[in-house]
This record gives sequence, C-alpha cells and structure tokens, in this order.
Amino acid sequence: MKIRKAVITAAAPSQRALPLQSLVDRDGVQKSALRIILEEAASAGAEEIGLVINPGDQKAYSEAAGDFASRLHFVEQPNARGYGHALRCARAFVGNDPFLHLVSDHLYVSRAATRCAQQLVRVAEAESCSVSGVQPTRENEITYYGTLGGRRVHGQNQLYEVENVIEKPTPTEAEQTLIVPGLRAGNYLCFFGMHVLTPSVMGLLEECMRDLAAGDRLQLSPALAKLATRERYLALDVQGARYNIGVRYGLLFAQLALSFDGNDRDEILTQMVELLASRERSA
Amino acid sequence: MSSELIRIITAQEPEVRDRSLDAFCQDASLAQLLVECEALDAFRRQSGNLYERVRALFFLYAIHRFHIPRKAGCPATGKIPFDGYGKLLNRRFEEAIDVFLTAQHHEGPSDPISSALAAAYHDLGFQTLANQVRRSVRSVRGNQWMFRVGHPADQPLRLRPELLQRSASDGSFPILAETTPVRMDLTHSAWSDIFFLGMDYPQGARVLNISIDLAVRGRDAAPKPPVEAYLRVIDEPVLRLVSVDLAAHADITNLPEVFDFAKDYLGLLKAAVIASGIVPPGLEGSGRTLAELLSRVVGPGLGLEIVSSVNNIPKGSRLAVSTNLLGSLTSACMRATGQAKSLTGPLREEERRLVAARAILGEWIGGSGGGWQDSGGVWPGMKLITGAPACEGDPELGVSRGRLLPTHKILDQRDAPESVRQHLQESLVLVHGGMAQNVGPILEMVTEKYLLRSGPEWEARGKAIGILDRILGALATDNVRDVGAATTENFFGPLQAIIPWASTHYTETLIARVREKFGADFWGFWMLGGMSGGGMGFIFAPQRKQAAQDFLQEVMSRTKRELQNALPFAMEPVVYNFAINPHGTFARLLNGDDALLPPGYYAFMAPQWLRTDPRQLGPLRRAELDRFGAACRGDPALAGMVETLFDRLLPRGRTSGGTTQSLSELLTEHGFDNSQHEQIRLDLKNGRTGLSQNRLPPATPIHDVRPEDVVDLSEPDRPDGREQWRQLGTRALREGEVAVVSLAAGAGSRWTQGAGVVKALHPFCKLGGRHRTFIEVHLAKSRRVGRLHGAALPHLIATSYLTHEPIESFLAAREGYQYPGPLVLSPGRTVGLRMVPTARDLRFAWEEMPQKRLDEQQQKVRDSLRAALIGWAQRTGEATDYTDNLPSQCLHPVGHWFEIPNLLRNGVLDRLLGERPQLKHLMLHNIDTVGADVDPTLLGLHQAGGSCLTFEVITRRLEDRGGGLARVNDRVRLLEGLAMPREEDEFALSYYNTMTTWIDIPQLLDVFGLKRDELSDADKVAASIRNMATKMPTYITLKDVKKRWGHGQEDVFPVAQFEKLWGDMTALPEVSCAYAVVPRMRGQQLKDQAQLDAWLRDGSAAFVESLCEWDS
Repeated sequence: MKIRKAVITAAAPSQRALPLQSLVDRDGVQKSALRIILEEAASAGAEEIGLVINPGDQKAYSEAAGDFASRLHFVEQPNARGYGHALRCARAFVGNDPFLHLVSDHLYVSRAATRCAQQLVRVAEAESCSVSGVQPTRENEITYYGTLGGRRVHGQNQLYEVENVIEKPTPTEAEQTLIVPGLRAGNYLCFFGMHVLTPSVMGLLEECMRDLAAGDRLQLSPALAKLATRERYLALDVQGARYNIGVRYGLLFAQLALSFDGNDRDEILTQMVELLASRERSA
Repeated sequence: MSSELIRIITAQEPEVRDRSLDAFCQDASLAQLLVECEALDAFRRQSGNLYERVRALFFLYAIHRFHIPRKAGCPATGKIPFDGYGKLLNRRFEEAIDVFLTAQHHEGPSDPISSALAAAYHDLGFQTLANQVRRSVRSVRGNQWMFRVGHPADQPLRLRPELLQRSASDGSFPILAETTPVRMDLTHSAWSDIFFLGMDYPQGARVLNISIDLAVRGRDAAPKPPVEAYLRVIDEPVLRLVSVDLAAHADITNLPEVFDFAKDYLGLLKAAVIASGIVPPGLEGSGRTLAELLSRVVGPGLGLEIVSSVNNIPKGSRLAVSTNLLGSLTSACMRATGQAKSLTGPLREEERRLVAARAILGEWIGGSGGGWQDSGGVWPGMKLITGAPACEGDPELGVSRGRLLPTHKILDQRDAPESVRQHLQESLVLVHGGMAQNVGPILEMVTEKYLLRSGPEWEARGKAIGILDRILGALATDNVRDVGAATTENFFGPLQAIIPWASTHYTETLIARVREKFGADFWGFWMLGGMSGGGMGFIFAPQRKQAAQDFLQEVMSRTKRELQNALPFAMEPVVYNFAINPHGTFARLLNGDDALLPPGYYAFMAPQWLRTDPRQLGPLRRAELDRFGAACRGDPALAGMVETLFDRLLPRGRTSGGTTQSLSELLTEHGFDNSQHEQIRLDLKNGRTGLSQNRLPPATPIHDVRPEDVVDLSEPDRPDGREQWRQLGTRALREGEVAVVSLAAGAGSRWTQGAGVVKALHPFCKLGGRHRTFIEVHLAKSRRVGRLHGAALPHLIATSYLTHEPIESFLAAREGYQYPGPLVLSPGRTVGLRMVPTARDLRFAWEEMPQKRLDEQQQKVRDSLRAALIGWAQRTGEATDYTDNLPSQCLHPVGHWFEIPNLLRNGVLDRLLGERPQLKHLMLHNIDTVGADVDPTLLGLHQAGGSCLTFEVITRRLEDRGGGLARVNDRVRLLEGLAMPREEDEFALSYYNTMTTWIDIPQLLDVFGLKRDELSDADKVAASIRNMATKMPTYITLKDVKKRWGHGQEDVFPVAQFEKLWGDMTALPEVSCAYAVVPRMRGQQLKDQAQLDAWLRDGSAAFVESLCEWDS
C-alpha cells in the first residue's frame, strides 16, 4: 500500500479562519498554519492533497498554501453536516486510493526523528491497513475526543489493534468498553487528529449517512467503529504532540511548541525568562 | 495439619462442601474442637480465597458461640481482657482475636473467652464480606473513574445541551422528569438476594421480580409509577435538593455538605448526586468549592435543582421504594450528564445495569444497603434475576464464586403470557400492614446460616429454590391459584424454617382471619421483603378481590388496634391498587408551559416564595410562578392547590385540648413530682448531675468477689446442700409462702428501638406452637410450679403509666390466660418527664464512653447524625422538657427500684398479705428474664440463708454489660454499669446481675421501717418510701425515643431521664444480701431481638419451654 493522497478538512464554520493564521515555523520562517499542515502531509509522501472547504474559501486558502497551492484539489462542503460529512465530500477525490487525513485546526510537533505524519504513513504502508494516530489521554479529557478501545499488537509497543471507537465518550462508558490493557489506569487512547484510511471508509460514511436522522451531524467515529469490525484497523501511539489552535490560547501554545522545537529555541527561551523576571509579582 | 473442618471448607464436591458444622461439632470433644479451632484460625489467616476465609471465620464463630460452652470441661467462669474488648469496639478485629486467644492460651478455655472470640470472629466475618462488596462496587467498570476525580478540573461530565436550552418565551430551563415503578418479589427469594449470598452461591440466588405501579386505595385515583425524580438547571450556582414527601429542601453551596448524609432528610438525594458522578466520590475532602464543580458541569453561574417524590407511599412497604428512588434519581442524573445515551424514554439494557450498579454504590455511600434485586423497578415488567458466576474480566474472579451484579432476564409472553399478568392483577391484594421493623438482624442471621450450611436451613433453602421453579411453571401455565399455594407453602415452610422471626403474631392472626372469612377463595399469602407485618400480599379468587380489599382494610385496622401496644406499628395499614409496569424507569423532557414540577413541590416551596418580596424573586422564579398559576387554573391535577397554599401560608392555630393538655393530665394522674423534676433540671443545667456524675469516684476500690461471697448453683452437682434447700423450698411452695413479681413497667427501648410498645405484651417467639408474649411465658411457668406443688402461685405484675391499661385490657381480653392463681396488677405510682439532653451528656455518651465503631461509611453517617442531634438539643434547649411527641412518649418510668415501694404504696401487698397471711417471700424478676421460675432449690437457699434479699447472678459473657457483682470498699454489692468509675472495672468482675431477687417480706418491711399493720397507713408508707428513696442514688440516663410522622417515617431522638435502680439496695448497710450463681439459661435476659436466633439455637428456648405449662 502506498500513500499518495491526503485529505484535510477545513470546512467547519467556526474554524474557517484558523488555518489562515500566521506562525513562525521551526525553521524561523513565518507561514500560515495551513502551510505547516500541508508540509506535514507532503513530508509523508502526499502528492495530491484534497482540501475540504466552505464554498467561497478557495481563494484565501490558495494564497495561504503558498508553494503547495499547485498540489491542492479543493472540495466544497455545501452545508455543514458534521466532520464525517466533510470527509465524505472528498470521496470523488479519494477514489480507490488509501489516503492520509489531517484536520486543519491541529499542528503537530514530533518527538522523534521523523514527522508525525511520516510515522503514521510508514506503519500504514508496512501493515497495509488503516491506521489512526492516537495518544494516551486522561479520562477527564476524553469527552473532547474520539476514543478507541483495543489491545496492543504483540511485540509492538506503540501499535494497537482497534476494536471499538466512540465519539466523545463519558468515562463511565469508556471504562466499560474502551479499556486498553497496558495503559495507566484512567488513561484512554484518543485520536490525534491524523489518520491513514483505506477508501472503504468512504463507503462506511455513506452507510452512516443513510442511518442519520434528519438534523443530526455525521461524525467520523461511527464509521471508524464499523471499520474495526470489517477490516484490520490499527492505531499508532504517535511520538509527538498535537496542538489545537482552535481553543483559547491554542495558537500561542502551538507557536511556543514550534519555537522550542526549532532554530530559535534559545532566543525564545531567553525572552521568556526576561519577561518573567521583569514582571513584578502582584501582591 | 489434618482438619476435618478445613476439608469441608476446601472441598470441591458439594456433598462434602455443604456438610453442616453442627453435625460435626455434636460428637466432638472439647479438646477436639479446640484443635479444630487452632487449625481453622491458622487456615483463615493464610488463605487468599475470600470464600474460604469467611467460611472459616463463621465456623470459628459458631464453634465458640454454640458448641464449646456446652462441652464438658469448659468452665463457666473466666475473665475477658478489656484490652481485647476495646480493640473489638474499634473494629480492630484481628488484634482483638489475638488478645483473646492469648488469654485462652494462658487461662484455658472458658465460656466468657469463647463469647468474646465468637463476637470477634462474627464481626470480622461480616467485615470481610462488607469489604469485598465495597471493593466490588468500586471496581465495577463504569464506577472506577469517579474515585479518581480529586479536583473539579478532573471532572469530565458536562450537562447535555438540551437541558441548557432556555425557553424562548420566559427563559426557563426544561425539566427532565424520570418516573420509576417499585418492585415486588413474587416468590420471596428466601433472602438469596443479599449481596454476600449471591457472591457465595450464585446458583442459589434467584428472584422473580415484578415492576409495579401503585395507588393507595381510597386515596389515589389510579396506579402510576410511584417514584419520581426531576432535574433542571437553575440560575444560581447551588445544588438545590428537594424531597417533596419529607418536606425538606436545601441549597447546598459547599462540597462537604454534599457528603454530610444525616444532616437532614436529603441523604438519598445526596447519595444519588455522588453515585451518578455529578459530585464524584473522589472529591470528598478535596477542599475545592462546589461552585467550581458546578461551573464545569453545568456552566458558569448555574446550578442544578434535583427533586424527589414517592407520592406518599409509606415507608417500610417492602417494595424497595428507597432503592428505586435512588435508581430513579441516579438515572435522571446520568441521562443529564450523557452517561446514558437515552435522554428520554426507557433505558437500554446496558444503561439499566449501570444505573443499578450506581444505585448500589449510592446505598453503600449512604451507609444503607439493600439486596441486588431492589433496583428491579428500573427494569420493565416481570423478570427473573439470578446470581452470575464470576467470569474472565470480572473483578470478582478468583475472589468469590459469584459477581456482585446479577443478570436480568425479562420474562416474555411464553414465560408469562399476558393472561397470567392480567389474572395476577385481578387476584392479588397488596397491603401494608402498618408494622415497620428493622430487618437488619434478620439479614445477618440468614447470611450466617447459609454460610454455615446449617442443616435444616440449608435444606429449606433448597426447597425455596424449588418453589421458585414451581411458581415459574404456574406463571407459564396461567395458574394463579397455584402461585398462591406455592407462596403460602414458602412462607409457612422454608422461610420460617430459615428465619422463624419472619413471621409475627400479627401476620398469622391476619392470615387466620382472612382464611376464616374467605375459605377456599383465599388462594394464598405471600410475604414481601425481609419480614412480614409491613408489605404483604393476599391472593384471592378474582371475583372476591373487591370484597377482600374491603375486608383486609377493616381486619388490618382492627387487628392493629388489638395489638398496637404489643407490636411496633408505624402507621395505619393501607391497601394498594397496583398494575404491572411495562416500561421500567422512563424519562420525559418537559419544556415551556409543561416545565412544571410535581404539585407537592409547589405546595411545599411556593409558600416560601410567596412570602418573599416579589422584587427579590429572580426572573426564572417569577416566570415559574406564572406558569404554576396558569396551571392551577386549568389543570385538574392541581385542583385544591389554592386552598393548600392558603393553609400553608396561614397555618391553623392549635385546637384546644391538644398534646400539651393531655400531657399535663397524664403527669397529674401518675404522680409526677414537679419539685423533684425541677431540681433535676437545675442540677443538669449546672452540671451537678449527668452521665459522668453517675460514676463513683475514680479512687473507689472495686474488686471481684471471692468464692465464699456466692453460692454457686450453676453446675448441676454442686453444692452439697441442694437437696435440703429443695425440700425447704418445696415446703414453702406447698404452704403458699411465695409470690412472683414480674416487672412490666418498661417499653422495651432496645427491643423495638424506642417504639414505645409494652414489652410484656410482645409476642416475641413461637413456643408450644404459638407466638407467646413475655407475660404468657411467665404465667405458664408459675402455672406449672403451682400445679407441681399443689398451691397456685400468686403472680403480681408491676406496671407503669405506659403499660398498666394495655396490660389490664390485654389480660382481660384473654381471661388472664386462664391463670389458676391470683393474678394482680401493681400499678406504678411514680412517673418522670423526659428532658432534652445536654450537649455535655450527649458528647459524654458518644465520645467518652466506649462505642462500637461502625463500618466506614455507616460510621460517617452516624457521626453526621450525632452532630445533628447535638445541634437539635442546643436549639431546642438543653434540659428543657421533652414534649414534642405523643404524651406517652414524653413520660418515663423512673427505674425499677420504685416497683417494690409501689407494691407498698398502691396497697397490693397489703391486700395480698391480708388474703394470704402465710406469704413470706417474693420472687422479683425482669420481664425479659424468661428462664427464671420459682425454683424450690433457690427458694430454699434463700430461706436457709436468712437474708433480706437473695440476688441471682450469672457468669459474664461479652454481651453482658451494665455492671456486676463486686466488692466495693470491701462490701459485696451489685454495682450498676452507670456507676462504674472506669469501663475496665466491669471486666474484672466474674458475675453479672440477673435482677432476679428473692425477697424476705418481713425483713423488707423492717428495712422500710414499716410494720405489717402499718401497710394500710398511706401517709406512713409514703413517708417511709420517701425516706428510703433519699438513700438511693439517682442516675441520669439517655434513652432513644421514636417520633413518628408522615407516612411511616420515624426519627429517633436521645432523651434524658432519671432512674433509681433496684440493685443499689445491696449498697445499704441495713439490708442483708446473699448471692447465688445460677445457670445462664435461667438468668440471661432477652434485651434485643437480634439475640433471639442464638437463644433459639443454643437450647435456651427449649429450656424455657420445659419450664412452661400453657393454658392452650
């Protein structure tokens, strides 16, 4: 299995502007968040990138993509019916190929020699199946994420066989169905915002869409739960960190993480210490 | 070590494993039993298997309690180390056992040491089981995370957005309304739903459980799910809890208050809030604020209001109303926080199981406990609930045979066709008989018997399991008549073989009267819950149901009136209408104009709002009042609400001739001494008297008596003079020189936890095939002794204000049990008025006196309750008169010392001596010393000794607390427990006072300074009594008094009263006293209903029966 395509979703009405914001990347160059995400995808071998957007956003995103604009295939989501629906809109672009999927409101910083997307794609290609990036997450956070249950693949510390996926579970539900042997008590595997998926996911999204009640939103997790029952589906504990730029102070922390990981680390650290030292302690 | 008992415990083959301990012990010698005990103790210390450990502990308990004391060579006398007792009280059971075993090793085995070891092994056994249940409850998946949440920031739950969606018209939040049926157990499960038992023997834990809607006949229009829980968002950062039935509400603003269960009547709601994870149990003691938590769960500046209602279904219904309310509240809270996917409608199976697990957690957190079938109302219709063996993945695997949670199989149309459901509803009359009793001791008895595999009980359990199969068969074939036959067979067969106390005289009277009235149309009786008398079922031919409902209402009320002084009734009996509920717990979301809480809520809360300045009411509350006002005008369910509100706003004045007047009349009538009362009040207030002042000075030398201080008649062959004494006594009996005085002034505070019944009239046990009252037993013994000696014994019964009239009319209705001799009541002549205790005395009793600690959560609840009661005493006024109860509950008898003076004062003794000049002796005994009779040997011993008073004492067991025979300042006397300067002094004393006293009448008159012919001089008698009374110490004691209210609700208050005690006569130098050690079976007292089972099992009941001769 070879991954040549990537799909990035950027159509959520509340998140349309997020990828357009600017940051200074590890290399000290100012870039849009979108461009950083596209670099992540490209580094993993994505030659064509489908970008799911709101109608009318194409121009702004093309400009923000810089050099990568030529690789982009814009896919419009005509009405916002959920994350799964956005991904489903890219089914024509995906065709019968496996693809890397990233969300546009997360930035990633790897703790390994290879980027996060590269780690994921390498495993997917080696195992020839869908692989989702995951991170052990404390139970008080799991109500924000898609969470999965499964068991560790024998002999491979970071790899898990997925058995079940639930979108934003309560810990009550998680404890009953999502405990993964070997993880610390109260920790669960939550999605990292990065997946390599086989094209069958599009069919499963289609099935879920048919069962969806009017007015409900289609999520990705139910389709991934079905995927686990239809074909081999793995999860990789990615060596890296994700930063959600859509939450309060999210952009700031993402910027700090990029800076501490790059060429300007010493300069930023020095300025932060100065800032702290010059700040008078309030009474 | 080769141990037969360990082989039984560890055997895999049921025929060995289920062998009875009793069978083995009967043939074993004392030495063999001690060797087995040593092996068992070593085994239980090293075994990692819960089941083996617990069974070994119960074996050890039973051997020490029932077998070792009966073996030849086991001395009756011995000392129990106080150190071990202290450890036992503090629940340091292992250490207590070590102390007692060391004492046994050094001093040799003895009855007292075995009693201490039995208590320690028993308590450790139950503690081990409770620990396991607690571990299992916490480790059930879905419950664990709540114990890890230690900070509001860790709280992952959020309220569902639907509940935060304000109404467009008035901004109000929607209401989540949950309705839940209650459950009834159609087979009675033979108590197999006790958690411990389901975990020990899951195959035997089977229950047929039906969810039902209820209506109180004559009050409610039609059956509906009786349990309701409501939840809504409010615009204040508080947790508002409201119990409509208990008329209680609280705005909780801090976390510690959520965990304070006994502070008010909202403990159940608090337990649900915690068990559902809204306030996770891990937050207890975190030091964080409730506002922080609510802000995270609900939103900044917002809070939650949770309301409960059980539509005034009486407490003690045996329909698991409390557990299902907890389930209902938990379900609503879990739906609201997304832990159940179904916000409305019924729950899915996995959600029901989770709600049940959380309800169990809530019960544990709240310090109560029910069976695993109790949350059955959460499920729909009829279901078979069965214990489940622990499997791979269960936290119980390798620890216990069974899982904590059972499995539920909902019966389908093939198992129970629609027709049988209909027929059952047409035939069954469901009632609440009005009795409310504590079933806790019964559940302990069952656990113990099942784990011991006691022969007859184990066999009965097998039969009960067979009866369940028979009932399932009868349901499948639509044969309700056979259901009735089977439930009746269960009640009179296996259930009573396992627990004789499950039946009561009241129940059996009702059954007999129903049977007499309806003959073959009465198809059967069925007991609900732990014991009968409360919730019960009577099954009739369908065409007679209407008549049967009418009759049962009448016959229950009539029988209750007949027995209300003898048995603890909490309420007027009721008949229910019921219907099988097909949904289980069910929720709706009420929006807009429908967003109203139940009418009872507004009847309780609205008057408080109406009294508030409208400008200070928040906009939401104003909008709610508008909606409520509109509904009052149009909704028939709210008819009469305006009048109700008006009554609440302007409560009617008290009608004249109420409680206060009745109380003062009673005081006057019963010789209340106001000046003495005021003096005691003053002394209490000034700290001159009180619990700590009851004690002798700490320096008082107190020692055990010497062998020559007593005559030991506890062994059958000693001492030598027995035959002469017997002849002497026999002669006196024949000559009519003796009479019996039974002390029957008391209300049996411990017997019924302060319910205020006449203990003498309590039909406490089936003897000679029928329930017998204490009085009946005493008369039966006197009847036998009189007949054997050819002279009827005069039998006097000393009564009090509380007991005189009931005993008089009770005996009149039964023609004095056909007693052949003089049967005379000696009415009390003194009465006291109870007082609100001082906080000082409450603290002394609860903090200074040795107290038995309870299991962790129960202890927390008790501490909270005690803090609340101290607050009550301070608010009400320390040492003020206690008048907030029925008049009879406000008065108190002033101690048994007054009973003999009463005989002098009321003329009874004078008259008796007039009729029987030969009368020289009295045998005085407590009503609960049921083994005491006029034994000629003891009478002869008393005569030969020539003392004024001869007291009977027994060797001490651990449970015999409250003083003993001692040398005090080198005088042999009885010392009350209240007067012991130090608790440990009591443990140095070998003998315990039975209160049974042989009295030489002429000498007694001398002591009182009276001559025989002065007994008719009332002034002289009164003066002599007053003179004697000044020599007797006055003790302040605390007694528990029940206050009943609402629908079967009961509160227990500690009240202060004073007493003078008969045993202190031994301290007077002018009174000559002797002491005889008598066998335990003769001298032991029945103070607590929990004693009854052991009393039956250890042969004491058979001993008493052998002394009795019944009139029929």
